[in-house]
Amino acid sequence: MRRLHPFTLLALAAALPLLAWILPAPRGALAPALAAATLAAAAGPRRVLLPALLTAAPLWFFLFILHGVGGMLVFGVRLTAMIASFVWLVAVLPPARLVEAMVAAGWGAPSAYLFAATLSAVPLLQQRARRIVEAQRCRGLSPRGSPLARLRALRALALPLVLSALHEVDERALALETRGLGAGHRRTPLAPPPDSALQQAARLALLLACGLALAWRLR
Amino acid sequence: MTRLTLSGVSFWYPAAERPALTDVSLAVAPGEVVALVGGVGAGASTLLLAAAGLAPRVVGGRLTGNVERTVASAIVLPTPWTQVSGMAFTVRDEVAFGPANLGWPIERIWPAVGRAMERLEVGALAERDPATLSGGELQRVILAGALAMEPGLLLLDEPTAELDSSGTQAFWRLVRTLAREDRASVVVATSDIDAVAAFADRVVWLEQGRVRGAGPPAEVLVDEAFLREGPGGPMVVLAWRAAGCAGPLPLTVADAAARWVRP
Repeated sequence: MRRLHPFTLLALAAALPLLAWILPAPRGALAPALAAATLAAAAGPRRVLLPALLTAAPLWFFLFILHGVGGMLVFGVRLTAMIASFVWLVAVLPPARLVEAMVAAGWGAPSAYLFAATLSAVPLLQQRARRIVEAQRCRGLSPRGSPLARLRALRALALPLVLSALHEVDERALALETRGLGAGHRRTPLAPPPDSALQQAARLALLLACGLALAWRLR
Repeated sequence: MTRLTLSGVSFWYPAAERPALTDVSLAVAPGEVVALVGGVGAGASTLLLAAAGLAPRVVGGRLTGNVERTVASAIVLPTPWTQVSGMAFTVRDEVAFGPANLGWPIERIWPAVGRAMERLEVGALAERDPATLSGGELQRVILAGALAMEPGLLLLDEPTAELDSSGTQAFWRLVRTLAREDRASVVVATSDIDAVAAFADRVVWLEQGRVRGAGPPAEVLVDEAFLREGPGGPMVVLAWRAAGCAGPLPLTVADAAARWVRP
């Protein structure tokens, strides 16, 4: 999967949730949701599928409280398709390849970077959160125990995480500016990912499938 | 023809009442190395941001006076981990990030990248993932990234903060080489006072955003006011005075050793 062109990966990650929302739920949406879960499992059952399911689980719970079993199934399947697709995309698409592909396709470097930065934010924040938790542990804070203790630990994690991320935004903006990202030149692709007619056809097929599904629902 | 001219520059950060720079004037000639020294809050980093055109354009705030650059510039900030592009699989691509953004043709990019990596001695790291580098390695990679853009004006903010002793000395030698061979103008904000005499042609002593003194290292670094109220003179000067040695103050260990007469 990692060898596929970034646009093909993006098309897959966009088409599956779209189909899940367009097709009648829960039965129609089940196929794209299962496809997304399968992709996530193929990328890594523990590393990709499990975090996606753990992220979706609380949403299923709240949907059950708000809408009962029927509503939970209708929206839960669709939300799971969205989450699994996004987590899978983050896992299989290195932002650097996406930037190269977008630049090669004629996008401006700043907008390509902005798009790719959204994907790279998740692993970066995870890495930083781990470091903060380790630092807080060294100071005696335990992230385990009663719900109250966990809540306290969460506060001790969230504040430095958000503040340091905000602080870094300034420095990163400066650094990118100094390295010519905002200079207004057309960036030279260093190693544009190879594309193929088959992948282009697959992307077109996904787009067509979404269009046809929408037309069918609106008829 | 100067590469950088600051004329009566004052700068206020957003929402700050007190200026971070007050009426600063500075001209840097081709092949000249200028060291900015001062205590914390002296304004050296702000001066570099203004010289690079980043203050106020990117950081916000207000600037009065005039800043003029006649050549392309590159700036290296003190924290290497926030300067990594995050868009490169390898160190080689990381170094090429700047030149690629400038839209250079690929046949110009790789030779420039190779030269910069050789100068910073990071060739052995070429295929490593930047995320796996140590602080010192990363700092050298970021410096190589700036050099690869072949700037005529190089602005460096504490460039040796993450380097070990031998790496620091090698870097200061490289700064001299850049000035001598490439005629690059270099402005360095540094707290490495001991090294200033070895690499700088001129020292600018900043205090609370104002230029308190400027001149050749042999004048500024041994000035009585600098030694008393500045960020601390070179250790060799302090040791020379503490030992009660006579004669002009030495600026380097080699100079002191040559002049020292055994009792």
